[in-house]
Amino acid sequence: MGENKSEILQGTLDLMVLRTLDIMGPMHGYGIARRIEQVSEDSLLVNQGTIYLCLVRLLQKRWIKAEWGTSENNRKARFYSISKAGREQLAAETENWLRVSGTIGRLLEWKEAR
Amino acid sequence: MLSALYRIMARIRAAFRSRALDAELAAELESHLSLLVEEELRRGAPPEEAERRARIKLGGAAQLREAHHEVRGLPFLDSLCQDLRYAGRGLRRNPAFSAFAILILGLGIGANTAMFSVMNVMLLRALPVKNPQELVEFIRWDPRGTMMGNLPDAVFRHLRQDTTALSGIFAIMPDSRVFRAGGSTERATVHEVSGGFFSILGVNALFGRTIAASDDLPGADHQVTVLSYPFWSRRFGRDPSAVGSTVQVNGRACIIIGVMPDGFFGVDRGELPDLWVPLGSDTAYWAFGRLKPGVSIPQAQAQLAPLFHRAIESLRDEMHSFAAPDREAFLAEKLLLLRVTTGAPGLRWRYWENSNTLKVLLGMTGLVLLIACVNLTNLLMARSAARTQEIGIRMAVGGGRRRILRQLLTENLLLALLGGAAGLLVAVGGHRLLVTFLTGNLYRVSLDFRLDGRVLGFSLALSLLTGLVSGLFPALRSVRKRFLPVMQGTSQGRGAMRLPFARKLLAAQVALSMVLLLGAGLFVRSLRNLSAADLGLERQNLVMMSVDPSLSKTIRDRKVFWTQLTDRLATLAGVRSVGLAGDAVFGNGGWNSTIWTRQPDGSEQHAQIAFNVVGPGFFETVGIPLLNGREFGEQDQGKSAPVTVVNRAFALRFFPGQNPVGRTFRTSETRLEIVGIIGDAKYGDVREEPRPMFYLPLFQHLEERPYQLHVRTTSESAAAIAAIRHEIEAVDQDISIGRVRTVNQVVHDLLQHDRMFAILAGAFGLLALLLTSIGIYGVVAYNVARRAAEIGLRMALGAQRSDVIWMVMRETLLVLAAGVALGLPAAVAAAHLLRSLLFGLGPSDPASIVWAVATLAVASAFAGFLPARRAALLSPSDALRQE
Repeated sequence: MGENKSEILQGTLDLMVLRTLDIMGPMHGYGIARRIEQVSEDSLLVNQGTIYLCLVRLLQKRWIKAEWGTSENNRKARFYSISKAGREQLAAETENWLRVSGTIGRLLEWKEAR
Repeated sequence: MLSALYRIMARIRAAFRSRALDAELAAELESHLSLLVEEELRRGAPPEEAERRARIKLGGAAQLREAHHEVRGLPFLDSLCQDLRYAGRGLRRNPAFSAFAILILGLGIGANTAMFSVMNVMLLRALPVKNPQELVEFIRWDPRGTMMGNLPDAVFRHLRQDTTALSGIFAIMPDSRVFRAGGSTERATVHEVSGGFFSILGVNALFGRTIAASDDLPGADHQVTVLSYPFWSRRFGRDPSAVGSTVQVNGRACIIIGVMPDGFFGVDRGELPDLWVPLGSDTAYWAFGRLKPGVSIPQAQAQLAPLFHRAIESLRDEMHSFAAPDREAFLAEKLLLLRVTTGAPGLRWRYWENSNTLKVLLGMTGLVLLIACVNLTNLLMARSAARTQEIGIRMAVGGGRRRILRQLLTENLLLALLGGAAGLLVAVGGHRLLVTFLTGNLYRVSLDFRLDGRVLGFSLALSLLTGLVSGLFPALRSVRKRFLPVMQGTSQGRGAMRLPFARKLLAAQVALSMVLLLGAGLFVRSLRNLSAADLGLERQNLVMMSVDPSLSKTIRDRKVFWTQLTDRLATLAGVRSVGLAGDAVFGNGGWNSTIWTRQPDGSEQHAQIAFNVVGPGFFETVGIPLLNGREFGEQDQGKSAPVTVVNRAFALRFFPGQNPVGRTFRTSETRLEIVGIIGDAKYGDVREEPRPMFYLPLFQHLEERPYQLHVRTTSESAAAIAAIRHEIEAVDQDISIGRVRTVNQVVHDLLQHDRMFAILAGAFGLLALLLTSIGIYGVVAYNVARRAAEIGLRMALGAQRSDVIWMVMRETLLVLAAGVALGLPAAVAAAHLLRSLLFGLGPSDPASIVWAVATLAVASAFAGFLPARRAALLSPSDALRQE
């Protein structure tokens, strides 16, 4: 399921999770999901559980780290934070993303102008 | 890149701690859910509604867990385990089917694994010595292309001086000796070995020491011996104190200095000696060397060539007695090095290069496996037809076609692996049997039968291949668009196996069985021809033994001894006559000698002809008819005129259309006058064509060696043979008597191979017949069950029982006819490959073909008749009510 999802969407979600953790510091799954929902206006997550598929992938690539801790309501929760490799990946991907979106933007504008 | 690698590693780790990770996920989801619930409560939802909304927002827990598995672990492995569990359940649910499939696969894979195991130990496995890949055998070859596996003594001593290419060279000389210890005497197989033998091979004694280089020097005390483990076990009951004791070898005191470990046989698995002794003879040896590390065979050959040439040249003067072309060929000989990593090529030549034995056996076992595969395919087809509904439903509820296909194949592979495991059991018992069959009494073979990785790998690969080959087609058919008819619920859809295809498979089985059955028929009839072949002599009641007078006897004593011995035996009750010979009937086939005959134009022609030395009355004793002239008598001895007797083939070749009695020819030593002609008798092998031979009077050529006693008796009873033995021992206590055997026994042993082929081909043919019959029975019975309603209707409309039987039998007969039409040409073509193994009949022997077809026809008709009879006994009303 997770694997079959379009690569762009998957990459976008990864990027957003990394960016969220980079800005906000360590967070648990609920927090990350909420944040992404707010930013993307519900367009990226099918439901909040999907975030865990993304998180396990990032963990396995060692771009994020996870630690058990206690949530606001005193429950056991896992807190994720970005790793050094994750920051490097984020920087590279951001640059890449800006370049691609810039190109696409120009392409689309040029088409409109015609 | 690195991250991808981390991910793979993490996935593998995850696959092994699935349970812990599930628990972690569950904990995470639970706290996530509680946070969501609180959020909803804050928004003012009532508790139950808040919980519901939270669950919707989080998503289905089961789906999430599934997806999580796929992302984090190895989904392939997961589903494989699932498939295996499912397959295991499926096989257990249908135990009769599973047991039968495993049985036929076990027989097919087992026969092939046994074959492979035999080839592995005979041909492929490396010698159990230090760095076997460095060992080479020395071969001489001359410009005519003749290869000789021995080195004359002088050549061996020359090559021994080399220090550039070889780190060592040793020689072996197989021989036999009279071994006497603890009051009992026997003939023991001996390998005379040069001093370097054990050290160059890098093997140590189990007890005591091995033969050292110093034992081999001129003037050294030669009287030491090393025992082989089996001989030590047999003669000394594994008593370690045997080392150091003194025994008699050929009448001389000899000290046992060591015992070799079990499994050590030297360099040829086909030649396990009882004893090793230092090299004493100085004629020609079987020679081996060890290459220095890093030296290649071409390098070594180049470096040894000048040395070899000098050695051959040094023998020029000794070659004067050879015919000119032979001498030239000898002087032009070159040295060839053969790698003997897997052992001296004796076995390889005997069973692979120079014989079809193993190849034919491989072909037969291969056919059996093929038949087993086809049979299994048919079984699986029937089974998949029966499972149409299950598969249809799985596809209808969204089971992916590939997933279902994979699952079906997993089931087949599991079946094949179980079959392979059963096959290993068959192989463990089978390969010993095969080797006994292959080598029989003829050779003493030292083979280590532990299953090694290679055999296990072979069996595994074969199992997987079998599973795939026999399972792929039925599985593919199962997942074809099948769900529609199932949903429609017609009986057609509920279990229709496509019969034309099943019939084609059956015909293929019949054809394959035909090949095996024709082979079996040919081998059986060939064996019968061989057993009844005209040998040119009287085979009944002819007893032979090798007699070796004690070593102290001089030539003059020996003449008296042999005369006395034959005279005494001739008067024994139950003995009709006695004859002596240098080489026994069906022994080595005589020796070769160059002879020169004078041509009508006065020139001389020379040829290599086999000869034997025989005593007075020999031909009468063995029953070779005298055609003209006389046999050797008492007068042919010592310095009397040199005479010879020739056989008919000799007369026809050298004196066509003339009476050769009174004519002469010469050998390198003397001119011989022909005094008699005898009939052609087979002397070496039952298969041999009559070949020219000449015979010399034994007492003109008496040597200090054992001779072969031939005794014509009135019966072959053990008592008569024991009496002969007793009588010989009464003449002289120190005589050693070799094995006492009758010609019938010797010929029986010579036909060992042919008997093995007849038995194995017969057994494989029977197996094929059984599998085919079961196949036919299965398909026809299935068809009868499917058509029960139709048959009932026909009977209700007035069809007779015989009509029904005929209707069903027609199917079997069609399959049979198609199979025979297909199989007959294939069988005859395959039989052409067996031509060299057959005797007295051709590959398309009509009787064998008729036999094969008849056997097949009877078996398949029987297999088809059982369901036909059941169909005929159906009650029309019951049959109609079934629908």
